[in-house]
Amino acid sequence: MNALVVLLRKELHATFTSPIGYVLAAVFLLVLGYTFSLTLFATKTANLIYIFHQMYVLSILLVPVLMMRSFAEERRADTLELLLTAPVREVWIVLAKFLAGLALVYGMYAGSLLYALILGLYGEPDWGPIYSGYLALMLHGALLVAIGLMTSSITENQVISAALSLGIALMLWFADSVSYLLPSPLDVVALNLSLIGHFRPMATGSVFVSDIGYYVTASAMALFLTTRWLHER
Amino acid sequence: MSHADRDSASTEAVPVVVAEALVKRYGPVVALQDLSLEIRRGEVFGLLGPNGSGKTTFIRMLAGYLAPTRGKLLVSGLDVVHDALQARRRLGYVPEAAPLYGHMQVREFLAFMGRLRGLSAADLKGAVERVVDRLSLGDVMRKPTRALSRGYRQRVAIAQALIHDPEIIVLDEPTNGLDPRQIIEVRELVRSLAGTHTVIMSSHILTEVGRVADRVAILLDGKLRGVRTLAETPDLEDWFLSLA
Repeated sequence: MNALVVLLRKELHATFTSPIGYVLAAVFLLVLGYTFSLTLFATKTANLIYIFHQMYVLSILLVPVLMMRSFAEERRADTLELLLTAPVREVWIVLAKFLAGLALVYGMYAGSLLYALILGLYGEPDWGPIYSGYLALMLHGALLVAIGLMTSSITENQVISAALSLGIALMLWFADSVSYLLPSPLDVVALNLSLIGHFRPMATGSVFVSDIGYYVTASAMALFLTTRWLHER
Repeated sequence: MSHADRDSASTEAVPVVVAEALVKRYGPVVALQDLSLEIRRGEVFGLLGPNGSGKTTFIRMLAGYLAPTRGKLLVSGLDVVHDALQARRRLGYVPEAAPLYGHMQVREFLAFMGRLRGLSAADLKGAVERVVDRLSLGDVMRKPTRALSRGYRQRVAIAQALIHDPEIIVLDEPTNGLDPRQIIEVRELVRSLAGTHTVIMSSHILTEVGRVADRVAILLDGKLRGVRTLAETPDLEDWFLSLA
């Protein structure tokens, strides 16, 4: 556990001293602010459903770029050799990078709390869907960070890492569309793999254990594969 | 194990590294074939061979970066696969590229590597001071490692390998890219570690190994071609050419 703390401090230091995170967070919040203003004036409704869906899409586009450096850069700079020959378990290395990635992504999401505050001050929003929407975003962000780590662990090329990560997220997003083309029981499998299918209910106020289970299981699977691939180097 | 313990246990015949029928394959390519050797406590052991001969593969297996395909590799009696973490605690490893975290200052980097190797906060300060003094790093402690010259990079890389005072120091091509004065400094450092530490270094330069090692192994095409003491073989070049 002590190794995890040491590694996490190093990862947080690397994450928050790199300009990439700040630039992407600025882009994220700028686009989000634009969408929030537009939808608020157009719909005059005190909810964040549009914002949550906007954050869902922006996360799919930006998190792969945020995470592409994690292992790929260590591999390119040969520092992965230092980490993997130190007396620490691979799982701690993966978890430290995962938690540092989460800190950055959740930091970006936290900027959007301002919109909830504005709605609370000037309107009477239904807080239930707002809470469940943030739960959905936290789970969604965690899965994307885990997928980003996984793809970053198999290549030293950051662009390939980001492209693979984006590809996996997009395939999962559109899995429900593919299900219409598949015979039973494969259609049910594809439907249940759908990212948006598990995000939308929570983003609109309905929390199901199955949706939470999907995100937790998929994130754990990605982290497990990352650890295995590091171990099998 | 402290130095004092090690010194009292130090005898030339005690093997600290044992490789038995070690094989490493990368797909169809055999990088190391049936390598068996013993490295004795306290000696400077040189691995000599041309590029691609399997030196780095062996060293990476020893450091725990690569797993053997077959065979056994023991570090102080600990299997590098099954007792990986304990075996790694016994080692200080300097990879060929001397990798450092560019965003860290030298002092931050050494402290990070010390903590990663399990040093407590109380021991860390003394350990950093000891390696900084030994490697003459005092002037660059607050510099980011990305701003260091090649010579200083190599010194910092060696310092991180010594920070937990390991029993065995493993250096992969430690004089690569250094100027003549820096090469002499690395040689002197390696010789100063002999006796209290076991030093295993690889090189493709005959004279480098010849000047510092007590015993030398020659690797060619992934096969161990022989192990001799420098006393037995004063002319390494003749021996190497007779095997090549």
